[in-house]
Amino acid sequence: MKARITRRNLMGKLGATVAGLLALPAAKTAKAAVQNVLVSTTAPNAYNPKKHKWVMAIDINKCIGCGLCAEACKKENHVPEGLFFRTWVERYIITKPAPGSGEARGEVLVDSPNGGINGYPPATVAQEDILHSFFVPKLCNLCAHSPCAQVCPVGATFDSPDGAVLVDPTYCIGCGFCIQACPYGCRFLTPPTPEMKALGRAGTAGKCTLCYHRITRGLRPACVEVCPTQARIFGDLMNPVANDPIQQFYKDNRVQTLKPHLGTEPRVLYAGMDKEVR
Amino acid sequence: MGFSKMPPQIVRLVLLTIAIVGSYLVARYFLTPKTFGDLGWFRASALEELANLQPVFAGKQTCVQVCHTDEGQKVLKHDHKTLSCESCHGASLAHADKPDVPEFKPPKLGYSICVRCHEFNPSRPKWHHQVVLKTHYPGQKCTECHVPHMPQEVP
Repeated sequence: MKARITRRNLMGKLGATVAGLLALPAAKTAKAAVQNVLVSTTAPNAYNPKKHKWVMAIDINKCIGCGLCAEACKKENHVPEGLFFRTWVERYIITKPAPGSGEARGEVLVDSPNGGINGYPPATVAQEDILHSFFVPKLCNLCAHSPCAQVCPVGATFDSPDGAVLVDPTYCIGCGFCIQACPYGCRFLTPPTPEMKALGRAGTAGKCTLCYHRITRGLRPACVEVCPTQARIFGDLMNPVANDPIQQFYKDNRVQTLKPHLGTEPRVLYAGMDKEVR
Repeated sequence: MGFSKMPPQIVRLVLLTIAIVGSYLVARYFLTPKTFGDLGWFRASALEELANLQPVFAGKQTCVQVCHTDEGQKVLKHDHKTLSCESCHGASLAHADKPDVPEFKPPKLGYSICVRCHEFNPSRPKWHHQVVLKTHYPGQKCTECHVPHMPQEVP
């Protein structure tokens, strides 16, 4: 059936087209206004996240358990006092087996009082009963397939193209799914700031950002910076430097990651790790 | 068959579907934040916001390349070469930005700076220099016998 062109329907069509054309920029302006209310943006940065792939390497044989990394992390990132840590140092004490038990090793005792910042109290077992003991620095494992980013319902936790796993604090609703999902216990819920409390907002998820504000400026993360024994090494897989520390780390050590059976493919590498470390 | 010839219940269903899907698309158009989805399932400008936070630690390069070159050279020859200035002296970016500001105070930590690393602890690796405080010249200050910047030298 062919539609007849009449003056009436031609005028109608013309009017609709004009109205549509007029409405488009208005809708765009309205969209920008709505978005600006929801989220304020900041000045652009010269850093290109697609041109980097950050990696952290930890040599357990070098860690002396001074806790400077955990303390520096708190200072650098203004992490609240108390039991909130983006990085911390665990003390492992493995005792000698009871005589006649048929075991290779005894009990495994793990502690990290205040993240190791104030040192460690004397071990609860006598020194002659200790088979071996060591310190293990822990932080976000920078998973390539991060469970925390998968479970986030609002896209606030995400895998950045440069390998960092970050939290968008203006978008996090503080539901805590990511805290349950992280198999390494590297996340916590930051208590809300007074401004957030006034708005009735819950706290947001906190975690290691690899000191994103430092690495994008060409500085090392605070924990790597202050580590006195270079137990922590930081590098960029996309831009290897001369005598690249990460390549050297692979050369010198047998490298493994935490909980490899979970398939998270962490980008935090450990050397000298014991099977009891989880 | 024209639209008007369709059974009315089908017409209503089609209109309802268009209304629901349309309102979803309109809401999505307005509520999706800027830059969401540019790099993945997140707001790409969050990267900039996180990158624009202010650091607290200046970094060893800043200290020894810009101002304290002599001290940097001294430390390099000794066992404390792996330490960053700020490991002992504390976070110093405020001082690095404005050297006139008396920001560079000796650190006041919970326990003494040397002891933090060098007190004997059975969990520490064997290669690390450690002392048992009770038997290692008790009552004396570390700096009476050791130079922190040059641990192998005698004062």
